[in-house]
Amino acid sequence: MATASGGSEFVDKFPDEAAIIKASFLIAFVSLGIGAFFGLIQALHRTNVLRVIDSADYYTLLTGHGVLLAIVFTIFFLCGVFHWAVARSLDRPAESALFSWAWVGLMTTGTVLATVAILGGLVPNLGMSADVLFTFYAPLQAHPIFYIGLAMFIVGTWLSGADWFLSYRAWRQDHPDERIPLQTFMVLTTMIMWYISTLGVAVSVVFFLIPWSLGLIESVNPLLTRTLFWYFGHPIVYFWLMPAYLLWYTVLPKLAGGRLFSDPLARVVFLLFLLLSTPVGIHHQYLDPGIAEGFKFIAMTNTMFLLLPSLLTAFTVVASVEHGARQRGGEGYLRWLGALPWRDPAFTGMALAGAMFAAGGFSGMINAGMNINYLIHNTLWVPGHFHLTVGTAVALTMMAGSYWLVPQVTGTKLYSRPIGLLQVIMWFVGMVFMSNAMHRAGLAGIPRRTAEPQYQNFEFLTPIGSIFELRVQIALGGTLLFLSVVLFLFNILLTSLGEESDRPVDSYLPEPLSGPEGSPRILDNLAMWTGIAAVLVVLAYTLPLAGIIQNGGGLFGGGLPVPATVSAGFDLVMTTVTSAFNTLWGVVA
Amino acid sequence: MKLTKARALILIAFSVPVAIELRTVAGFFNVELPLIAVAVIEFLFLALLFVLYGLYGEGSESAA
Ligand code: HEM
Ligand SMILES: [Cu+2]
Repeated sequence: MATASGGSEFVDKFPDEAAIIKASFLIAFVSLGIGAFFGLIQALHRTNVLRVIDSADYYTLLTGHGVLLAIVFTIFFLCGVFHWAVARSLDRPAESALFSWAWVGLMTTGTVLATVAILGGLVPNLGMSADVLFTFYAPLQAHPIFYIGLAMFIVGTWLSGADWFLSYRAWRQDHPDERIPLQTFMVLTTMIMWYISTLGVAVSVVFFLIPWSLGLIESVNPLLTRTLFWYFGHPIVYFWLMPAYLLWYTVLPKLAGGRLFSDPLARVVFLLFLLLSTPVGIHHQYLDPGIAEGFKFIAMTNTMFLLLPSLLTAFTVVASVEHGARQRGGEGYLRWLGALPWRDPAFTGMALAGAMFAAGGFSGMINAGMNINYLIHNTLWVPGHFHLTVGTAVALTMMAGSYWLVPQVTGTKLYSRPIGLLQVIMWFVGMVFMSNAMHRAGLAGIPRRTAEPQYQNFEFLTPIGSIFELRVQIALGGTLLFLSVVLFLFNILLTSLGEESDRPVDSYLPEPLSGPEGSPRILDNLAMWTGIAAVLVVLAYTLPLAGIIQNGGGLFGGGLPVPATVSAGFDLVMTTVTSAFNTLWGVVA
Repeated sequence: MKLTKARALILIAFSVPVAIELRTVAGFFNVELPLIAVAVIEFLFLALLFVLYGLYGEGSESAA
């Protein structure tokens, strides 16, 4: 974080980058608006409060909601933030504005195609639908346009990463001996993780799902597409979280009036995520037959290791914020909390997002435990959990961050701070209602992903309160959340239409208390860390994948599945290795 | 410390999860708290906050 913006605003200094960031944010926010509207409809529908759609269309909206929010909104926003962070921290524009527009264009086209395929489901005689939920694995099948859009979107993200690596390479030539600036370091490690993990979903989409939806192949091995999805589906969680962490580490301490506690620690955290986030995806498949218990157990232990970088983050970020409060004259064990800038929606939103993330972390530990997972698997508990994590820790941080970032790329002042404050608090309260009730409903056994959870001749029971109360809470929470999004969009729209102002926000980011000099140089050796991450992935996935292919009747399914054992995967690997060895021996001898 | 509007809002926000889970906490002590009791408690808290805001709030003269 060496450079201060020195008075001149980001938009004046990097007009091309500001334009790219604005475009990314625009698409992110449009998706947020549509997705939140679908969220409201679902929340009211499944609680039987108000039904405006046919229950048969629930999956269509749920797919739109999941894809537009968890994939399009988060990732477009991430691209904007990362583009800002790289230009700002390297203090140089991207190598080619045309190239930057190319990835924005490709991702946008992909988004439009996928969205058209999803919404096509609402028009019966169109013959097009993609009700495959945001997890899109077989046996659910979508129109080919959906998968093609998805593939374009992913390739677009690959190009965006290339854009930032090119900037970094150019910077490195001018600064051969300097440490990688912290924000760039965060962007690069996150993108390496993304490259490794999207390989899985790319294989699944390009080799199985597209040919299958086009009718070129007759069947796929559903467990294989599920496993390839979750190979990517867990790391994508960190792809959502990393931009939030970037803002928590580098912007939040400043907003609190202080500075980051430790730059080296932040680097270690990002490296740990790079190493640990991919070899754990099987923890989403604890109940999948066809994967041996042993592999599930390994995925569980790996998952528990992943708690470490998140706990380190909690400590560092809270320490930095406390430091800020004390700089502002805060005192006492807890009274310093009162000295924080609660009036500032950017600060308050991020702080509340962090607080809710702690709650989400606890329910996440429950999800991760192989045995207690059985209790909550596929119940409403699960959306309860991820509306705290991606739906709040990430989405609320992104909205709060916008109050500080958008003025920098538009050059205009935030339209209203009080409305912003009200908005982030409304999100917090709405999410407490919705998420808490979802967790509880899950404990009572109410399933997720269904328009009509109420069954004939069957009653769900809760130990405290009644199911009726839970339904009311979900509907009320969902309504508050939707209103909060409306306030947000309104505030941002009026901000961007406002008059240009000299100094819309104070964009200076102070140096950390303990700078990068203290960290070992080996942290900057990105090639080595990539290598280690790849080895871990190979170790975690070779045997399970071999087993899945063997048990599930080959790459393209079709055969009858046989029960899973560790030895099945092992057999396949052994046969392959022995036959390769024999062939080689034959050549040599 | 002055009770600003922002601080009051934060306190209200944090009172919501506490109120929602109050019945669980009471349950640990074998007290069955009815929903209406929780509503009354939350209402009293909000009233207290309102009074405090009047006494020490942004517009008032006295600083706490
Ligand atoms: C206005 C705010 C929101 C409301 C009212 C809302 C409500 C809901 C509801 C009721 C469900 C359906 C649960 C089920 O039937 O299983 C759901 C699912 C989901 N939500 Fe939200 N949500 C909101 C915001 C968000 C945000 C910001 C994100 C992510 C960034 C998100 C991501 C998801 C995902 C991934 C699903 C699961 C889709 C699936 O099961 O395939 N939601 N949401
Ligand atoms: Cu996961």
